[in-house]
Amino acid sequence: MIDRIRQANTPMANDLLTVRHLTKHYGASTPAVIEDLSFSIPQGARVTVFGPSGAGKTTLINILTRVDHADGGEFTLTAVNPCTIFQEPRLFPYMTVEENILLPIKIRSAKERSARAPTTPALWAEYQRWLEVCDLTPYVNHYPYQLSGGMKQKTALIRGFLTEPDFVMMDEPFKSIDLRAKRAIIRHILDSYPGITVLFVTHTVDEIPLLTESVLLFTASRLAEYTVHDSARLKANPMEVLYG
Amino acid sequence: MTRSTRFSTAVRNNIVGLALLVSIWFVLALFFPSYILPSPVVVLAAAPSLLNATLLPHLGITLYRVVMGFVLAFGAGSVLGILAFTLHVTEHLNSFMVALQVIPGAIMGVILLLVLGIGNWVPIALVTLLTLPTVTINTANALAKRNVDLEHYLLSVRATRRDLIRHLFVPALIPTFQSNLSLGFGLSLKVVILGEYIGTQDGVGYLLNVASIHFDMKTVLFYLAVILLLSALFEIAQNFVFAVFLKKYFYPE
Repeated sequence: MIDRIRQANTPMANDLLTVRHLTKHYGASTPAVIEDLSFSIPQGARVTVFGPSGAGKTTLINILTRVDHADGGEFTLTAVNPCTIFQEPRLFPYMTVEENILLPIKIRSAKERSARAPTTPALWAEYQRWLEVCDLTPYVNHYPYQLSGGMKQKTALIRGFLTEPDFVMMDEPFKSIDLRAKRAIIRHILDSYPGITVLFVTHTVDEIPLLTESVLLFTASRLAEYTVHDSARLKANPMEVLYG
Repeated sequence: MTRSTRFSTAVRNNIVGLALLVSIWFVLALFFPSYILPSPVVVLAAAPSLLNATLLPHLGITLYRVVMGFVLAFGAGSVLGILAFTLHVTEHLNSFMVALQVIPGAIMGVILLLVLGIGNWVPIALVTLLTLPTVTINTANALAKRNVDLEHYLLSVRATRRDLIRHLFVPALIPTFQSNLSLGFGLSLKVVILGEYIGTQDGVGYLLNVASIHFDMKTVLFYLAVILLLSALFEIAQNFVFAVFLKKYFYPE
């Protein structure tokens, strides 16, 4: 897996995401946040982008979700049903937890002009299971302003995963979630979505081996050069991996 | 806050506001002779005789003009605001609307009187022109201040333009619609009275003109009280609609 990620400039048939020579500046006089960045993620891989705060990790996610534009380079995303879980929960304040969670499913269903109901029994069962894992069952009719930061983030996670994505981009999704809940959620993701491809952005070392197998490690204050590591090795010897 | 709490708070605020105004009137009336400023008690005592068959048709005409002018201003202002936002000309339109707002209502009323002649259209056009800038600016600004994070989220789930309108733009506009209704109706009522005062021979503004020419302050204040009451009733009605049917769009930040 690590070797595949290294061979970024020679895309393979099973690559779900290929990034080539991506560059992004904020203003002409400022240094690039992302500079000539290339990597690829094969289908089924779970990869972390790890780097210091302000290094451009969120910018990378924004570009990949087409919320922002790159100044140079390109990327190819072949996922059929990608999903993004942003750093902030981005819940609709006038919708309840349940309405927020079901919104993307309803949007997709309307777009496909699907004759079937947006929520199938299987999906409903998965929804109930997620609510249990996240301890959100009593709060389904609450509005976001009635929830804690962690509850909002959990709602955003459920909303993302319930769309049955084949590729998930997650930008520090566990920031406000306590360790016990975080472990339960990750376990549920690994159990229920075994073949899912993940691009996980974080600056918290502990989270990396729980969810992903490989790490793109950026040490500079911008996304440019990186080294690829095994997540388990990072867990075992974080200081050695991070600081040589 | 529950629906009933939100509504009852709004009603209470309206009643408190009216009571405060009447109290100030009552205190001021103590310092002036009754033929200059009659007290609320004197006006209330005269109300049955003033509430005669003449008032109601005039009141109906005034209400018709307010509603017509306001609907035109609200419709045109909302469309202009949405267009300004869509075409990215909000700032230019704001400048134009601010300039339009500066023209005094009385001057515009006289110009409209010369152009349109005596009749319904002077107060209606006056309301439309004077209320339009507020509605347009508020609408364009509400759209400009929409939640960009939510827009990005919707784009990330490949939402259609229709989804964006339904889930982002319309909810962003609802609180503005309420403030437009609230401010716009009060302004429309004031402007219609002005228009009727200047250029009609019917409506409450005309009655006010006749009463003020005869220095009949009791009647003048009675008509003013009727206008205030009308405004308060509209405020209560619109608060009821928003509190009961659209409450979820008003949430704590």
